[in-house]
Amino acid sequence: MAHQVTKTKVSLGPGFWIVTAVIAIASAIMSYFVYASALPIGLPEAAEPAGAIDDLFKFLGAVGGTIFNIVTGYIIYFAIVFRRKKSDPPDVIGVQVHDNPVLEFWWTVIPTILVVILAIYSVAIWSSLQNTPGDVLTLEAVGHQYYFSFRYPKLANPVNNEMHVPVNVPVTLHVTADSPGFPPVNHGFWVPEVRLKADMVPGLINTLRFTPTTIGTYRIICTEFCGALHGTMRAALYIDSQKDFDKWFAKQGGAGAASTAGGASAGASIPLAGGTAAAGATLFAAKCSACHATDAFTDRKVGPGLGKIFADPGHPKLVDGSAPTPEDAANIMKKGFTGDIGQMPDATTNQISDADIANLVAYLESLSKK
Amino acid sequence: MAVATPTTTPAIPHAVLDHIHPEPQGFIRKYIFSIDHKIIAYQYFITAGIFFVIAGLLAEMIRIDLLKHTGVLTPNVYNQVYSVHGSMMVWLVIIPFVSGAFGNYVMPLQIGARDVAFPWLNLAAFWMFPPAGLILLASFAFGAPDAGWTEYPPISLQAPYGTSMWCMAIFLIGISSTLTGINFLVTIFKMRAPGMTFTRMPLFVWASAATAGLNMVATTALAAALLALFLERQFGVPFYDPTKGGSPILWQHMFWFYSHPAVYIMILPAFGIISEVLPTFSRKPIFGYKMIAFSSVAIALLGFMVWAHHMFTSGMAPWLQLPFMIITMLIAIPTGIKIFSWMATLWGGSIEFSAACLFAIGFLITFSLGGVTGFFLAAVPADLHEHGTYFVVGHIHYVLYGGSVFGIFAGLYYWWPKMTGRMMNERVGQLHAWITFVAFNCTFLPMHWLGLLGMPRRVAMYDVEYEFWNQVISISSFFLAASTLLIMGNMLWSLKNGKKAGPNPWGARTLEWMISSPPPYYNFKKVPAVLAAPYDFGNPLPYVGLEAEPGAMEATPQHTTGFVPAH
Repeated sequence: MAHQVTKTKVSLGPGFWIVTAVIAIASAIMSYFVYASALPIGLPEAAEPAGAIDDLFKFLGAVGGTIFNIVTGYIIYFAIVFRRKKSDPPDVIGVQVHDNPVLEFWWTVIPTILVVILAIYSVAIWSSLQNTPGDVLTLEAVGHQYYFSFRYPKLANPVNNEMHVPVNVPVTLHVTADSPGFPPVNHGFWVPEVRLKADMVPGLINTLRFTPTTIGTYRIICTEFCGALHGTMRAALYIDSQKDFDKWFAKQGGAGAASTAGGASAGASIPLAGGTAAAGATLFAAKCSACHATDAFTDRKVGPGLGKIFADPGHPKLVDGSAPTPEDAANIMKKGFTGDIGQMPDATTNQISDADIANLVAYLESLSKK
Repeated sequence: MAVATPTTTPAIPHAVLDHIHPEPQGFIRKYIFSIDHKIIAYQYFITAGIFFVIAGLLAEMIRIDLLKHTGVLTPNVYNQVYSVHGSMMVWLVIIPFVSGAFGNYVMPLQIGARDVAFPWLNLAAFWMFPPAGLILLASFAFGAPDAGWTEYPPISLQAPYGTSMWCMAIFLIGISSTLTGINFLVTIFKMRAPGMTFTRMPLFVWASAATAGLNMVATTALAAALLALFLERQFGVPFYDPTKGGSPILWQHMFWFYSHPAVYIMILPAFGIISEVLPTFSRKPIFGYKMIAFSSVAIALLGFMVWAHHMFTSGMAPWLQLPFMIITMLIAIPTGIKIFSWMATLWGGSIEFSAACLFAIGFLITFSLGGVTGFFLAAVPADLHEHGTYFVVGHIHYVLYGGSVFGIFAGLYYWWPKMTGRMMNERVGQLHAWITFVAFNCTFLPMHWLGLLGMPRRVAMYDVEYEFWNQVISISSFFLAASTLLIMGNMLWSLKNGKKAGPNPWGARTLEWMISSPPPYYNFKKVPAVLAAPYDFGNPLPYVGLEAEPGAMEATPQHTTGFVPAH
């Protein structure tokens, strides 16, 4: 097919390079303002990974905005410059070019490089999120229709619709959903000012880690449809000073501040004094050893190893930074356990009496002392 | 008429190609249970058009509710309204429009076929569509589905009977899609006119082929998921209920294994429409034909490997997020190639701003923005903030309205003269394009920052500080809905009063424009031989042996004026 147009005659169009310069300058100015802005999406940052995620937003905004400027700018320019004019003869046609391998090579390669850079940057931020410290304070958030409840270690009862965390303390938050007495549904846990979100799925535990950095009150929003009043499902996140947090925690009956209480209140109801380690060892072999080893906490069978449970460096710290107490262990044996490390049935299911618990605790204490 | 002297004329087996079936007589065989792909396409157009109006009215109910931060409707009604709006727009409007209607009408004509490969299958596939729609509509009487178009369990297990009807309706439309996919794929592979090699196919045919493959493979996963949901709801078979040992996440995987490819099922034919409209109205060959064609296939293949990017917050092994994020980002490359090729098609053209062309140019801008926000959603750390918010609602509408629906409007203006033999009023069409473009952006752009600032999706009420922008969105959406009246009025007006179109009013070069408008029952009296790709304006038409309608070929611009876009 013969081409009608010789290459020497073709220019890119009147003012092409001026338009290119305008697009470049506009994109540069836009990118500058995206980068100069402290808060690219207009929300304050209340916890540690928010800054890293905002950095990603800045990068995406600058690159995405530039690409959009290029596409839109040239399309509008071409549409204006190459419009059919009234004076054109009716059978006018455009420049009959079919392709341009050099151009096509570059507009494949340059976006590919951009995608690789964006992917590497995203992976870097992603991996920093995976390595966010947590575990100093470990909490559980449970979604219900239509409220959130928060379980703190050493607090007998969950707290509804109020989540308090002390500032600058790394938090691990396990989220799930449940609705006692009703079939459970999905919920979502989102604090816009922390930029993190996890779905609350019944039977599944998802984990978020963050370190609160700014004292204040923030919204906790449900982000998975959960029923007629989904839009009303809210809770408040209070990032407190350590002092305020301790005060609040003590008021809830927590052990963190009132250390004399000696552990979770429910645990105190089980008399531990009469337990013997020897009887506990027999019971452990019969009732517990299928799931628990007597090694370090991290040596798991089904559940964690319990060999040094009361003095184990591998054991996650509880809310006040201390190791678990015998009362904690008794409480777990009595009530069972549900968490990200697994599930354990309660004493009724395991068919162990309070006296058995006392014996088992004595045995575990003897192991920890070795 | 000028015909190129072929160097090699493909051999045409005349005994086969000249055999024409007689047209069926009688109203029922001709218009209701017809096996003619054109009549079936009209049926798809009308049915999907009716559902478009219904689903559009549901959308306006959503926007009326959100005029006030406390909500206007009762939350239960609101949840049913937005769920049926989403389901209907996806399964009963866009997919039937782009595949059933445009695919059925245009694709066989463009490859020089007299019908699709399996006309009876085509008939069967269509007649699953209206019942599916009626079942979904009837569900309002039994408590319509209310957990969104995604119907995540466990809440969808607890919903009233309407959700089971939703399963049946979508299952039915899924089977219809699968059958259409098989039918189109066989048609494109086996029924092209002699000489029409793969690289001589119009780009809409390439897009239809990629879409048909997706329809055929992906929809089965949806059917399995729906069947399981139905069995669990009606007979208690525990697939998804976590209290009985089922997994709610299983549904999400199976649903998105279909519904992500479904995004491409909805957008690839729109890409095809744009690839037809832009060359015709810039009087230029499509730029980078092969890259556009292959990128459709690349998008279709990659589209199968990214489904879990909808589930970054749902709960999966963290390392698994990486491959899904990276493959999702890779899709930007073939998509970018397409956008750049369309830009280059405009360059140096003689662009006529017909309504079809305006919608195509609007598509390029709005779809590009949808692509950019798609990148924001693909990056896992950013998605942790955006997931489940109005940012996602904004993104999906930029892709499905600014993409698919703009493509549908462009295609309607473009092929309307072929389908009816009459022209629509161009001025009204252009007005429609401008109002739609402005109202569309005013409606869906603010959703992005509402989402980033903390407004979750699927809420019947919201925090008072978002009220201003929600009112802007709602009022714009009323204009957007009203602008649709322009095209509906234009169509009705044109049927009676429109100028006679003639075979080729746009001076286009693909095969469907070589025959009368509307085409006869048998499409091609003689099946033509094809010598080259269709887009070479200024060259003689690459068809031999075509018994063309008078005027078809003459209307095509034959002479270059030597137009050079220099100073």
